[in-house]
Amino acid sequence: MFPGPQRRRPGAPCSVESSNANQIRCLILACGNTLREDDGVGPFLAHWAEERWRDDARVRVLCDHQWTPEMAEDVAQAETIVFIDCATDSAPGLVRCMAVKPAPDSTKLGMHHLDASQLLALSKHVYGAMPRTSLLLTIGAGSLELREGFSAVVQAALPEARQGLEDTVQRLLSSKTVQRA
Amino acid sequence: MSQTITIDPVTRLEGHGKITIQLNGHGEVEDAQFHVTQVRGFERFSEGRPFYEMPGLMARICGICPVSHLITSAKACEAIMSVRIPHSAAQLRRMLNLAQMIQSHALSFFYLSSPDLLLGMEADPKVRHIFGVVGAKPNLGRAGIALRRFGQHIIELLGHKRIHPGWVVPGGVTEPLSAAKRDEILAMMPEAFQSTKLALAGYKQIVDNFRPEIEVFANFPSNYLGLVNEDDSIEFTDGALRLIDGTGRIIEDGITAARSTEIIGEAVEPHSYTKFTYYKPLGYPDGCYRVGPLARLNIAKSMGTPLADAELAEFKQLAAGPVHSSFYYHHARLIDILYGIEKIEQILNDPLILDTHVRATAGVNRLEGAGQSEAPRGTLHHHYKVDENGLITWANLVIATGHNNHAMNKGVAQAARHYIKNGKFTEGILNRVEAVVRTFDPCLSCSTHAFGQMPLAMTLLSADGEVVDHVVRS
Repeated sequence: MFPGPQRRRPGAPCSVESSNANQIRCLILACGNTLREDDGVGPFLAHWAEERWRDDARVRVLCDHQWTPEMAEDVAQAETIVFIDCATDSAPGLVRCMAVKPAPDSTKLGMHHLDASQLLALSKHVYGAMPRTSLLLTIGAGSLELREGFSAVVQAALPEARQGLEDTVQRLLSSKTVQRA
Repeated sequence: MSQTITIDPVTRLEGHGKITIQLNGHGEVEDAQFHVTQVRGFERFSEGRPFYEMPGLMARICGICPVSHLITSAKACEAIMSVRIPHSAAQLRRMLNLAQMIQSHALSFFYLSSPDLLLGMEADPKVRHIFGVVGAKPNLGRAGIALRRFGQHIIELLGHKRIHPGWVVPGGVTEPLSAAKRDEILAMMPEAFQSTKLALAGYKQIVDNFRPEIEVFANFPSNYLGLVNEDDSIEFTDGALRLIDGTGRIIEDGITAARSTEIIGEAVEPHSYTKFTYYKPLGYPDGCYRVGPLARLNIAKSMGTPLADAELAEFKQLAAGPVHSSFYYHHARLIDILYGIEKIEQILNDPLILDTHVRATAGVNRLEGAGQSEAPRGTLHHHYKVDENGLITWANLVIATGHNNHAMNKGVAQAARHYIKNGKFTEGILNRVEAVVRTFDPCLSCSTHAFGQMPLAMTLLSADGEVVDHVVRS
């Protein structure tokens, strides 16, 4: 298998360290653009998560501008996954964590970017596997203008979002490991 | 009463576009046009910027082939600097360019075109996507994703980012290759070879199912343009251009980047923001030509690598001279990929590849410079003029999709005339007309420097201009 995108600080050059993806108990997969204000909340939380679990080999953090089909193999190899993205369909600053199911087979897939349910479906169809638990953590966007930083409402929600991610990952790490086929 | 069909937007392309098909009073196709409907204008906003910023700026034109713009722009800058880059830097750039070609071709073949090839042109559009491909041929689906990751990971290892790497700079590259990265890339080779062989075998199994399409998918003699080395082997990054005619006769050879600016003209048609390039001595449109995978294989006499050479020999058996049907762009794309993997392996085994001298430095020594390379879709040119302080005063980019524009329009018309009779058409017929455009794998974002989603549309017009049908896909 090819090594996938590596653990790295969002927005910074990637490292080329080796990692055994088969040992990943929790994959944190964030997306967003730091130049589009609140859309950068995914990379921000990914950066925080990478520092938080830097020495914990059970956690792997990936972040990119968007989720693409090439990430399906990383998803398939993870025991659990937390997707992180901003949301335009929830109240600004609202932090939500919800279960994600794979998209139905009839879903038309974009080839340049996928949403969390499509990525799960692709990992299931192409690699015959997907995480036993899949969660989506979203933060409602207040503004997506062309600038760095966050709107006041999202800035105020960052502590809650960090805590939500901490609690979620800890819960996933403490849950019983399931032997995968 | 005549009619017009519009396919708007055309799907599974890089960028926005639409197709208009004009019918006469008998319901026969009178004319057809492929429109590129967006414009950006990178040439204009680069004016006033320091020339050494150009590679980084120009790479932003495209998220699929930023490496081509990066490299071609750097070469134009080096012409302004009058420097020759170190051997290791040239080899590393060559590897980066090939990695990009592999990932881009994998996207085109597996993600965009394989639904048509594996499921059929008439397949239900609801299943004509990557899920359908994976369901029908799971190994091919995995191979496509693996090849795209292979190319992207090399780009990431060398340039630190999968998209818009900034590692290529005027004068060379910013840092040498480490032994660890070299070994990591070498370790990826076996699976890349395996995936490509699987794809070639799969393509050869199904190609005979598409004989009717091969006959009418832009199947006509044309001129062809592409880079070759002095030994007539294929080249993507350096070398010089060769132009051949529809019989294979060499019209012009050894065309440097500077000479290209003199002999390539750009025509404008009112229905598209993409320009139509042509060879000036033959005029427009007689001097139009095709570029990209099909052109490269028609022009080169060898690939310079053993596995790809064997495939090229088989490819050349398809015709006595140049292979004209654009359907064979798919086949040529897979041979390009095979060559790319072999060549990367050769480059990594170059004893000087870890040399740390990877950048030449100089200031402004000329007030004009041009660069050229082979992007995945075909030849790419950047041409700049600067003032004595090195600030850009004028820039022009000639993109592969512009080179292919005339042939794409002609090919759409050919397919439309063949399939649409008495003003009647089906979804499968419209898909075939779109598929003609897909064979060229045009990058509309590059060609007009547009951005956004990538749909395309088709309109059917009557002789008096009335819209008879309009198909829009998202």
